[in-house]
Amino acid sequence: MSVLTILGKVLIFPGLLFTLLAALWLAGLDRKLVARMQRRVGPPLLQPWYDYLKCCGKETIIPRKANRTVFLAAPALGLASIFVTAMLIPVGGVSIFSGSADLVVILYLLTFASVMLIIGSAASGSPFAGVGLSREMVAMISYELPFVLVMLAVGRAAGDGFCLAGVTFSLADLCAWQSANGPMIFRWSLLPAAIAMLFIIPCEVGQQPFDIDEAETEICEGVLAEYSGRPLGQFKMMHVIKMYVMSSLFCAMFLHIETGFLLADVVIHLVLCTLVCFVSMSLPHAITARFKVEQIFRFYWTTVTALAAVSLILVWCGV
Amino acid sequence: MENLPILAIMTLFMGAFLNSLLGRRSRKVGNTVVFIAMALALGMMLALIRPVFFEGRTICYWMGGWAPDAGWAYGIGLEVDALSLFFGLIVTIAVMVSGVYSFTYMARDDSQVNFYTLFLMLSGAVLGLVLSGDLFNVYVMVEIMTFSAVALTAFRNDYDGALEGAFKYLVVGSIGSTSLLVGTILVYANLHTLNMAQIAQLAPSHMNATMVTAFAFLFVGFATKAFLFPFQPLAADAHAVAPASISLMISGVLTKCGVYGIIRLTYDLFQNISESTVSYLVTGFGMVTMFICVTMAFNQHNFKRLLAFHSISQVGYVITAVGLGTPLGLSAGLYHAINHTLFKGLLFLVAGAVQHETGSLDLDDLGGLSKNMPRTTALFLIGAASISGLPPFNGFASKWMIYQALFEKAGSTGNFFYILACVVALLTSVLTLASFIKVTQSVFFGQRRAKYADVKECPAAMRLPMWILAIFCVVLGLFPEQFGNWFLRPAAGAALNAEAYAAQMLGGSTAAAGAAEYTLIGAWQPIVWLLLLVLVCCAMTIVAVSGRRSEPEPLAEPDVEDEQVLPENAKYEPFFSGEESHYSQVGGSDLFWGFKENLKKYFSFWHDWHSGIVNDYALYGVLCLAAVLCYCAVFL
Amino acid sequence: MTFNYIAAFFFIVLGFYCMITRHNLFKIVIGMSVVDYGTNLLIVSIGATNGGTAPIYTPGEIHPGTVFVDPIPMALTLTSIVIGACITAMALSLVIKLYERYGTLDTREIRRLHG
Repeated sequence: MSVLTILGKVLIFPGLLFTLLAALWLAGLDRKLVARMQRRVGPPLLQPWYDYLKCCGKETIIPRKANRTVFLAAPALGLASIFVTAMLIPVGGVSIFSGSADLVVILYLLTFASVMLIIGSAASGSPFAGVGLSREMVAMISYELPFVLVMLAVGRAAGDGFCLAGVTFSLADLCAWQSANGPMIFRWSLLPAAIAMLFIIPCEVGQQPFDIDEAETEICEGVLAEYSGRPLGQFKMMHVIKMYVMSSLFCAMFLHIETGFLLADVVIHLVLCTLVCFVSMSLPHAITARFKVEQIFRFYWTTVTALAAVSLILVWCGV
Repeated sequence: MENLPILAIMTLFMGAFLNSLLGRRSRKVGNTVVFIAMALALGMMLALIRPVFFEGRTICYWMGGWAPDAGWAYGIGLEVDALSLFFGLIVTIAVMVSGVYSFTYMARDDSQVNFYTLFLMLSGAVLGLVLSGDLFNVYVMVEIMTFSAVALTAFRNDYDGALEGAFKYLVVGSIGSTSLLVGTILVYANLHTLNMAQIAQLAPSHMNATMVTAFAFLFVGFATKAFLFPFQPLAADAHAVAPASISLMISGVLTKCGVYGIIRLTYDLFQNISESTVSYLVTGFGMVTMFICVTMAFNQHNFKRLLAFHSISQVGYVITAVGLGTPLGLSAGLYHAINHTLFKGLLFLVAGAVQHETGSLDLDDLGGLSKNMPRTTALFLIGAASISGLPPFNGFASKWMIYQALFEKAGSTGNFFYILACVVALLTSVLTLASFIKVTQSVFFGQRRAKYADVKECPAAMRLPMWILAIFCVVLGLFPEQFGNWFLRPAAGAALNAEAYAAQMLGGSTAAAGAAEYTLIGAWQPIVWLLLLVLVCCAMTIVAVSGRRSEPEPLAEPDVEDEQVLPENAKYEPFFSGEESHYSQVGGSDLFWGFKENLKKYFSFWHDWHSGIVNDYALYGVLCLAAVLCYCAVFL
Repeated sequence: MTFNYIAAFFFIVLGFYCMITRHNLFKIVIGMSVVDYGTNLLIVSIGATNGGTAPIYTPGEIHPGTVFVDPIPMALTLTSIVIGACITAMALSLVIKLYERYGTLDTREIRRLHG
């Protein structure tokens, strides 16, 4: 593979540009759909992009109590790591890097992005940010346990008898397995895991009913309270891209369909992503109010974890 | 060459005596003696790297020239194979760092000459332990080590709780020492030898009820020294009150002795790690330890006590990996062991720096120090990222190896126990991260009390050892494959090949132990990280540019961080008015409310369990001993 | 001989019992010493032989059929006694300091480090 191909992959497809476009499409559509479900007109489809541009045009105010370097570096690092995450997920069978343990790397990179959000808000020194970051961290603890269980279940399902260790964490392996045996989601023992994953997505993204870390009405945007200008834009962009990354990850793990034509595959991928995004994010956003901190924790460590654990045990028993 | 191990040990002990002779008059002379002793010991260990790791030799030394006769060992021997040297290197590096740090850190204390004497005795004992080839000498070294560690814990005896922590350590530690001695003597009763190579040769074919009992006693003895589950209160108490450089020694070096002992015991002496019951025992201990300790860390208000619980939690990782009995598991355990020394040492030194400058370790009291101590903050962030296992630091690399070892073992045995261990390990990692976020927020970021406005950056002489550790943290994280080839594979191979261990010492053969074979599956894709780095650099440039363009701060107003005696609930005022510039930090113990509220019962149970009464701790220790004895009696 | 082993383990258990149930610091130290004595008894018993002589060459005393006791456990016992004495001294000095600082010898009141 020549340098030019790599660069093309990194910068255009399925790298930066494609990710950006897909993410903007998902985020715009999400806002539109939620608005329609709430009998509002809703913003134009490109509103997230306009928001970002507007943020970039504004002055960056650095609070007196803030640690300047960390305060400014955190959003950039978070955005960078989320872009790298996007590059690890295959789109229509094409991925930039196919390592043999993508899932764990993705898990860590997603964590890293969240940590940057937390560190940045901690560096701002605001008490609202303090409350926000503690909530973000609790949310993270909440979804991480079921997330790991889902990963193990899926990895075992694809890896049993397929690779040496009996468990695979490679998305390429998962996709290959799904091309051969049909999408993961049609295996009934993995259905609970898929449902659990659908619950994990909005919490990981920090979408409406689970956005305890921002919670405008209670703690003035919490983690983002002190942010303005370009760093704010970067965090908003990170949120938008996370939506796409998580939907795309779900598709790669559970709903990989390959036709052989790249264009068709990409279109199918995008349609499926939109569907996942609608089911897991837009719908709960439109119909439920925000959860409380302890409710989220309890919900994820009981219901969602139980779903994922059931799947894991079933898969491990060879069902 | 053969003399180097004994010389290294003796150098440290001689340094201790010379220090008390010469150091009484002038601290400069004393410090020079201490430094030379440490540097010589380190140099000798480094000189052994080439023959032991690269040429695959085993260095044996018989005290007084009492070489074995007809395959039977009479004398007391030192045997340095790759595993011993691996731990020897950990020990000497940690000693060096800790000593150099102490020169500045302890400068304000009196009777420093006693401090360094005890310090060098501790170092010599630990080095002697890992290099020794004689089981009884291991016990003696453990006793010297415990003795000097207790004395050093109580060194600042005007510090609240120092004596108490030391006394508890002594009492409950004596349970471990006793069981080590009883185990040793039971082995002797059965095999009539104390030489470890001889034991390794005889033990597997001479297993009977006595030997099983001996195994249980020895295991509990080493578990005490590694502060595994029911013994973790000792570590917490001792770490919290000891001087920071001694906390580094306790967490980075003393626990490693326990780990080393468990590896030697299960892989070489009894060679029973391949039995699933022993594997369950060791891995189970590790799992329980890492989870309970990390949750205990959530309850803590004291910086160093929190670090102490994390320290034990990470030792739990090591033990979990070691318990797998596979080459990969053992290598992962060794890798995490050295990483643990590095990042934990770094964090303890940072805590020491904070204490040195502010005089406080209270997480609810500190805050906003990143403005006063930016370099220390950077060091802390490196350490915190390493221990939480964030890429690209060393914690990530070794934790990744541990996960891989766990699920490979689970996959190949089809055993659900190891999957459980894997889940616990990943969860512990997240919880570790969470609790370091807590520290970051409540010590370095957030808001600063008025009384800490004049805090200064710690002296450069204290930062130097911290930087060394931090650089090691990054380097070991960046080159896991090379490090594995050079150090981990030979060390793990030495532990796994018990026949070679025995034969080399007793002169039966000179076959090298060989390296352990394992393949890392690629979590480590340098190109990904390279790309990340490039992206980050781009992003940073953008930030720098955008930062320069808009230079708005500060809003000319002077700093008014007045901390009056506020009425009850006044700290919430800014939430309602949004204007007041009060001190309104979210305290360390208030973070994670949602998490703690749901698990209230669990947390309060463990809070009460760590009652602080020495009788209770002794009870847990004895119960643990009894439980392990029963387990071994039933299953072995 | 069996009696020795039983006594040794009895002392070890007794010492542990003392450490667990007594709340007085001195009694805990005594418990530790009792454990040490039990261990020492165990070591000596392992090396002992009925009717054995001292493992020292004395002219005229040795004839065929003489049995030595095992010298190694004796050496071990000596070391162990010395270590035990050190530990006891250390513990007692800590007790004195603790009493000066806390004004009590009751373990239930010496628990500033907990939780």
